[in-house]
Amino acid sequence: MIEFKNVSKKYDGANVHALKDINLTIDKGEFVFVVGSSGAGKSTFLKLMMREDVPSTGTIVVDDTDLTKIKKRDIPKFRRRLGIVFQDFRLIPNMTVFDNVAFAMRVIGTKEKKIRRRVPYVLSLMGLNDKARNYPKELSGGEQQRVALARALANNAEIIIADEPTGNVDPQMSYEIVDLLMRLNEAGTTVIMVTHEHSLVRCFDKRVIILDKGSVVSDGGAIIREAATAHINPISEISNEYVVPPEEDYSAYSSVSDSEESSEENPVEVAEEEFIIAGGDE
Amino acid sequence: MGKFGYLIKEGFRNLKVNKLMSVASVTVLFSCLMLIGIAFMLLVNIEAFIGGIEAENVIMVYADLDSTELDYISLGNRLDDIANVASIEKVKKEAAYEEILADLDEGLRAYLTSIEENPLPDAYRVTVADMSGFETVVSEIKTLDGIERVYENSGLARQLQGIRDSVTYISIGMIALLLVVSLFIISNTIKVTMFSRRLEISIMKSVGATNSFIRLPFMVEGIIIGIIAGILATGAVWGIYEFALGSFTAVLSGFGGSARIEFLDYALYLAAAFVGIGIFTGIFGSATSIRKYLKERKFVELEE
Repeated sequence: MIEFKNVSKKYDGANVHALKDINLTIDKGEFVFVVGSSGAGKSTFLKLMMREDVPSTGTIVVDDTDLTKIKKRDIPKFRRRLGIVFQDFRLIPNMTVFDNVAFAMRVIGTKEKKIRRRVPYVLSLMGLNDKARNYPKELSGGEQQRVALARALANNAEIIIADEPTGNVDPQMSYEIVDLLMRLNEAGTTVIMVTHEHSLVRCFDKRVIILDKGSVVSDGGAIIREAATAHINPISEISNEYVVPPEEDYSAYSSVSDSEESSEENPVEVAEEEFIIAGGDE
Repeated sequence: MGKFGYLIKEGFRNLKVNKLMSVASVTVLFSCLMLIGIAFMLLVNIEAFIGGIEAENVIMVYADLDSTELDYISLGNRLDDIANVASIEKVKKEAAYEEILADLDEGLRAYLTSIEENPLPDAYRVTVADMSGFETVVSEIKTLDGIERVYENSGLARQLQGIRDSVTYISIGMIALLLVVSLFIISNTIKVTMFSRRLEISIMKSVGATNSFIRLPFMVEGIIIGIIAGILATGAVWGIYEFALGSFTAVLSGFGGSARIEFLDYALYLAAAFVGIGIFTGIFGSATSIRKYLKERKFVELEE
């Protein structure tokens, strides 16, 4: 279980909070999307989650580990319980797929014998068995991200943290990546996926936490979220579900929707939008 | 062994990946160590040379011309009693005269021998144990009776002491400076290596590798650079020393018969010191740069 209690973060020299009074609980085995534009506090949220940074106030507890009190030398051990997937894949270009996955195990001192058993297994989970000897540059974006996912799984992570895993992947593959994450989740792994692609999120019936200006503006299941995000990206619904909206441009979208599409909009959604804007300004 | 082997292998891989930088830092460190070695051998030689001259810096004490054999022996005893006198040596006037005659040309020698009169007094050659007390010994000798003349060269001794001190200070200063330079070189190389491998470091941090595990291959790299540079420098100093000895021995021997100092007598110490310096700078240089690096760079954002 992951618990954020009154968590705020203000960076030195900055005059606004990166995160403001966050309270949330993520249960073991849950699948959570964390959504927000850049600057909403997503990366701060991740940094706190991985104990790369500590909150200015409040506490973060992962199972029995209080991340605000954990000793420096215990941090690596804590991180071994996480599997982290990055937007840019972070595969080592001069290592084969096999070695990239094995690398994660080698650097925490796993025995070679165990590595030789485990790596083919996680690669098969990701459907990459026949790519083991390939180099990252020979793979497509989606395949590369699956390698990164295999690497995150290599050390038996309890929690998968995916930071924009679909950011550099074409739309069809994005769906596949999230589907793989879902399947891992069904096997019992807690999954936290950070993204700015509302359109993608809408295809899956999972809990969505929306961050804006450092605060949680919405936290809930598919239905509430559907209403809460409708204002943000109406264009993608009309054209293509997988069109990635440009970041940070939500205001532009809402003004477009106000002037040109307000007649088509559901009055309930308009009310919802006003609520969010009011909440964000707080 | 598996873990250890992996770390060593990584250290070598670092060197290979940054071939140019590795060669550059081995070269510069090698030059530094070589200069240190040359400074050291120079110091050793100057010490030996000055020591040799000092050993010859004796006090000649000439007895009165009219002193008897008994007076001469009692003078010897009194000289021997003076504190800080290492040894005294009899220089009989006959032997001294022979020596002088031997150096003269034949005609003059024949003439002087025919006179059959020895103008020289009997003498003692007094060696002082501690050079710093040289003048005290001289003044004490001067108070004794039955002495015709005391001959000494304390001025030279003082000068040599001064030269020795400044040579020592300059050498130590130079060695210290070069050590600092070596440290900077190694830490710079490690920094470059770390930067070029920031992707791997970011992955290592994110999967929970301990800092020491991240650090060790870089230290191994530093140590390898140090050892290679150390071995090369030992060889180079040897070569340079033998060459210099060949050209300078003739000049130096003119100043006094100080024995030739063999490089091989010092080779082991020098090699050990070089490799030691290499390892130390390797560890220290990498440790400082790594600590800074690991602190400054977080793994979530990986700048291009």
